Amino acid sequence: MALTRALSRTLHITALGIATLVIATVSAVPAYSDTSDKRIALSNNYAGNAWRQEMLSAWRTQTSRAVKIGTVAAADAFTIGENRPTDQAAQIQNLILQGYDAIVIDAASTTALNGAVQEACDAGVVVVSFDGIVTAPCAWKVVNDFRQWGREEVEYMAKRFPEGANLLEVRGLPGTFVDDDLHQGIVDELKKHPQLHLVSSVEGDWAQDVTQQAVAGVLPSLPKIDGVLNQGGEAYGAAQAFRASDRKMPVIILSNAQDELAWWAQQDRDNGYQSISISNAPGIATVAFWVAQQILDGKEVPKRLTVPLLHIRQQDLDSVLAKTPKGSVADQIFSQADVEKLIAAARDKAVQRSQEASQ
Amino acid sequence: MSSLISRPWLWAWLASAVVFALSVALSGAGQAGGLLYAALSFGAFAAIVGIGQMLVVTLGPGNIDLSIPAAMTLSGTLALKAMGGEPGTALLGLGVALLVGMGVGGVNFALIRLLRLPPIIATLAASLIYQSLAIWSNRGLRIKPPVALADFATGRSLGIPNVALIAIVLAIVVWVLLERGVWGRWLLATGQNARAARLAGVPVESVRAGAYLSVAVLAAVSGYLLASFSGGAALNMGQQYLLLSIAVVVIGGTSIAGGFSNVPGLWGAALFMFLVVSMLNAYGFDAGARMMLTGVIIIAIVIAANARRSRS
Repeated sequence: MALTRALSRTLHITALGIATLVIATVSAVPAYSDTSDKRIALSNNYAGNAWRQEMLSAWRTQTSRAVKIGTVAAADAFTIGENRPTDQAAQIQNLILQGYDAIVIDAASTTALNGAVQEACDAGVVVVSFDGIVTAPCAWKVVNDFRQWGREEVEYMAKRFPEGANLLEVRGLPGTFVDDDLHQGIVDELKKHPQLHLVSSVEGDWAQDVTQQAVAGVLPSLPKIDGVLNQGGEAYGAAQAFRASDRKMPVIILSNAQDELAWWAQQDRDNGYQSISISNAPGIATVAFWVAQQILDGKEVPKRLTVPLLHIRQQDLDSVLAKTPKGSVADQIFSQADVEKLIAAARDKAVQRSQEASQ
Repeated sequence: MSSLISRPWLWAWLASAVVFALSVALSGAGQAGGLLYAALSFGAFAAIVGIGQMLVVTLGPGNIDLSIPAAMTLSGTLALKAMGGEPGTALLGLGVALLVGMGVGGVNFALIRLLRLPPIIATLAASLIYQSLAIWSNRGLRIKPPVALADFATGRSLGIPNVALIAIVLAIVVWVLLERGVWGRWLLATGQNARAARLAGVPVESVRAGAYLSVAVLAAVSGYLLASFSGGAALNMGQQYLLLSIAVVVIGGTSIAGGFSNVPGLWGAALFMFLVVSMLNAYGFDAGARMMLTGVIIIAIVIAANARRSRS
């Protein structure tokens, strides 16, 4: 496909004549600014949960179409065996040697890959990190606003319990920036709502069984719990612990996992259970892919791009459940047009901010 | 009295009792039952994998199984996939789990025996394969257990969690086997001095094969139960049980140098590991302080248990 495109272009150019050829090739580079011969690689640090599996599947479906219609030449995904920064650094060096034009990274560490990332940048390779981002300044960063996530959880609780409530927080993996940011968002927003009391905070490691264990262990020492804040992926474990304790089921913020959504729908049918679902869509990988493509296309893209969180509301629950495979996670895939819009919005915002700053 | 103090299992139980009392002091006596019930439920999983790890550790220095988390994940994943949430398939699932356990144990021992790999390397490398198989078999999808099985796993009989009853029965069987059975005596003899045991006519390699098969089967059973208990298998479900399986063995008073097992201490340690995290959570320590305190407490107990033993 890419070959026929290149051929037809050559023929077209030959028809213009030798005299114009030189001018054409020189001036046509930015005008064509075609990425059909560009190769993009995904360097992924971990595949061991439903979120990552959906992320890889989103990458596959979106990029295979792009390769088929010739937007890019290749978009190969590589996952390292164990979640180790040293392995991933070596893998990135390999990808540079293999001559990829852009490397999209879900990083095992925010800092430990910076050396390899810098090497890639120096070699003229475009580096875009997402989800697990890297701090190297030459890399683009496609992120979710985790503080916003934490704030939204508390906002919802404030709306549900204007008279006040006792809240339990289930935190994620300690020491990760996601856990820190989400917790900070929760803490910030709680200051605005003095009627909400955070009575305990346990560590769930983003795993159902760890959460179930931690919540079951701390529940006997707690007063009545009205709401549970979490970081996505723990809601079902928390619900199991409450179910075993004969306490009243609190309002648990849910994520995009299919089993949590199915549980929510069931509870809604049984006793009108109300909650919200906030999550980071694994489809963020497709944003990172199109960002890499846009940069290779010569477009100006802000170094930091915030992708909106995925919200599932009560009224959309059944339609989302219908299209989410059993046991998987609900997702939002981004097309090239979606990402162009995101980039334009971020650029406008940046311009606005710099104008405000200069005034 | 001195013979009682010199019992290495005493310290794990003593520590559990102290931590339990501290938790109840905070939450009120009315909540003691709930806490004990939760400790028995979650301690059961640690106890089951701990019994397996204990058998391997008893074989002597260098013997350990690091593939426990992956074996749990693979068994939970394949068993739940085989059952597909259909009613009446619980035994089919258990059968799949047992087969996975025997397969994993067989591969582990083959790597150790035929390729002469150190157990640490063999089981760690093999665990990557098991984990990959688990990922490949269902791409991380979470399948619900059959309702009857889920109800059984989260249910209770005579006020005791069903999973704890299973773990207690398993512990008693292994205890009797070690104290009264020929195989148990062979295992202890092998762990104390493999060369002497071989010269005395103990089939050392069969004993080792038995230990590695047992740990894998116990891990598989634990994975099957845990997946049924927590509402589905997840690819990261076994993670915490690697360290936990080793910790309960050591805290329970089993000699890490091999040759001495301790089943009662192991259950005490399994309860302790749950209770200590619950207590620190209840007192509001954050993750960093909690991990540090847990580490310090574990070290203190191991020192106490060992100091008493060497003096006696």
